[in-house]
Amino acid sequence: MQKMLSQFIAALRQSGLPISQAETLDAVRAVQLVGLRERELLKTTLSLSLSKTRPNQLILEQLFDDYFAGPSTELSKALDEGDDLNVAMESFPASADDRPAAPQGELSALAQQLLSGDGEGLTVAVAAAAGAENLSNISVFTQKNLYSYRIMQRLGDDGLLADINSSRSSALEPALTNTLEARREQLQAQVRDYVEQQFLVHAKHKGMKFREDLLHKVKLSHIEHQDYHRMAALVAKAARKLATQHSRRRKVSKRGMLDVRKTLAANAAFDGVQFHTRWKATKIERPKIVAICDVSGSVSRVARFLLLFLYSLQDVLPKVRSFVFASELVEVSELFERESVAVAMEIIMQRWGNMSTNYGTALEGLQEQVLSSIDKKTTVIMLGDARNNNGDGRADIWAQVYRQSRRVLWLNPENKVSWNTGDSIMSEYSPGCSEVDACQSLNDINRIFSRLLKYS
Amino acid sequence: MITQHQAKLASPEILRSNFEKLGYICSDAIATAVYLACQLQKPILIEGPPGVGKTELAKKTAEYLSSPLIRMQCYEGLDEAKALYEWKYGKQLLYTQVLKDQLGDVMRGARGLDESVQRLHQFGDIFYSEQFLERRPLLQALQAEEGAVLLIDEIDKADQEFEAFLLELLSDYQVSIPEIGTVKAKSKPIVMLTSNNTRELGDALKRRCLHLYIPFPEASLENKIIASQVPEINEALRKNLVSFVNELRELSLKKAPAVSETIDWARALLLLNVTALDEPWLKDTLNLLLKFQEDVELVEPELKRLLNKSL
Repeated sequence: MQKMLSQFIAALRQSGLPISQAETLDAVRAVQLVGLRERELLKTTLSLSLSKTRPNQLILEQLFDDYFAGPSTELSKALDEGDDLNVAMESFPASADDRPAAPQGELSALAQQLLSGDGEGLTVAVAAAAGAENLSNISVFTQKNLYSYRIMQRLGDDGLLADINSSRSSALEPALTNTLEARREQLQAQVRDYVEQQFLVHAKHKGMKFREDLLHKVKLSHIEHQDYHRMAALVAKAARKLATQHSRRRKVSKRGMLDVRKTLAANAAFDGVQFHTRWKATKIERPKIVAICDVSGSVSRVARFLLLFLYSLQDVLPKVRSFVFASELVEVSELFERESVAVAMEIIMQRWGNMSTNYGTALEGLQEQVLSSIDKKTTVIMLGDARNNNGDGRADIWAQVYRQSRRVLWLNPENKVSWNTGDSIMSEYSPGCSEVDACQSLNDINRIFSRLLKYS
Repeated sequence: MITQHQAKLASPEILRSNFEKLGYICSDAIATAVYLACQLQKPILIEGPPGVGKTELAKKTAEYLSSPLIRMQCYEGLDEAKALYEWKYGKQLLYTQVLKDQLGDVMRGARGLDESVQRLHQFGDIFYSEQFLERRPLLQALQAEEGAVLLIDEIDKADQEFEAFLLELLSDYQVSIPEIGTVKAKSKPIVMLTSNNTRELGDALKRRCLHLYIPFPEASLENKIIASQVPEINEALRKNLVSFVNELRELSLKKAPAVSETIDWARALLLLNVTALDEPWLKDTLNLLLKFQEDVELVEPELKRLLNKSL
């Protein structure tokens, strides 16, 4: 039972459920309590102890059906078919009766097992052979035939084939030859089914996970359009994770500690008799974030993803003001709040996307609209490539922003090597930044924002 | 707690049928969850849309095991002073004032600070003893002699610090109070946490709990629930109204009607002496089922179609 459970849990982990050892132990104890007899009860028990969110619960139930449906139906099928063949053989009394004992002794173990109609034993043997061949490592569908072949080999297919050939060449027992061939085909089908089922259990999600891992590392500008949806989900997930990790610093107002000094002062009027108590209170304020995103032509390939992240960030953090610009600076916080992510991005890209950049006018806009509200609690984030088409960059405004704010981050979607080449004027802005970083993949974004949230 | 009630908790099936006798109709998943929680002594984290009977489950469990229900409602800013214990500061201060003279007597004749402090030490921590301890729900649950059912309601509304603070309680059934030491549960309580998912709970908390999701009940189950809660209503009408509510849940509403709304509605129809569902009655009583004006506006033009479907 433990082996079965641990295999099931391994399959669950591959599908993305985070299951710890402690939970595994709990599940084992729970299953010991309810027993294995009732299928539905077992399913409920496992889902109660192993899945911790609704989506995970659905995954688990699906996988449970895939995983535990297989062996039992296969088992019964194998048994049924075995019976049929026995009946069929009995209808040939001559061959059955006349069959000499000697050849059967010479048959290989597999052939004997097939003839005896031991369906259950065969199912176990198939599972054992599959285990020996590490079938659970299967990851792409092209491997299915390979594994089927290997499992057949391990079961002793060579011996079986030799038996069939020898009995055919001796031409003594056509019935035996036919039976053996028919059963070999059955066995092959059974192995194929088993491999198929295991593939469903183990590999379906592995492929997806593989792809997601890849998406984490690949450069933002190289992501294909078809992966875009998955990327959107990943970005949203990352932003949510970051926010929950760091949303601990909420307003804390403690009531647990008596503030003696304040209590004494408050009660001075009553001649030191203490009627009113005063408490120590701590308040931590959330950081204010001003995020500015370049959506001009030069960064159009990554702008969508930067916007995506901006959107997710505003979704999870309370005080984010978002701006986009190509040349004019526009506040989009309200738009983000009102519209869904896809609509908001379409609107932004249509209205302001793909125009030529002018950092100078954008920063002048910043000076007018935002500069007065930037204070020592504000973190300013700029997402852009600093390619200014050889215009005046107004780095003086940026320096002013730096002086007023708590921290200034500049994230550049270009590789560090290409900074300051051509019309890029990164070097003018970098003195006015507390941090400058290349931001090329989702992993980069994660790393940078994690740092941002930790210190804010 | 378990040992006293072994017979009552022998199997999920027994639990289910007994809950039914108490008027709580539940699915097998719910009965299994309670059974496992009691047998494994693990807390249950109950999630689901509002109004499907999350809190009710805890109440009925307490009633069934005839043990006290200790309920703690969570909210933002809840801290250990309100959840676990607090010193009765007022009493402490008052006593220091009242005992001023006594203290004077004790100190009389003492020479120098050292000697005075020595004398004070002889009396121990008078002001930080059990008499000055104000017990809050969590401590009450741990100290209940006969065990208790502890309901931590809407845990998602509390801050994350509080969640972390609960961890020790949930896994070891003990808490640490700096001035007194570790308080262990006299008899392990059955702990139920409910959540409406307004924020994602921490993994550490989830790991320590069984996770039970209560969805909207299936039509047959809901039929049984209405039959047990509003027995006077006639069968045909009951079936109609349950299928109508089920139709409503299919629409994309801001808040889909839950079981509690169906019960309220059934009671209202009974009170109004309605014997069969028709459009005018529906229109008049729709606000019992739908809590948002937008939802009402969405449903009203569809009423006829929905009604025909459910009849």
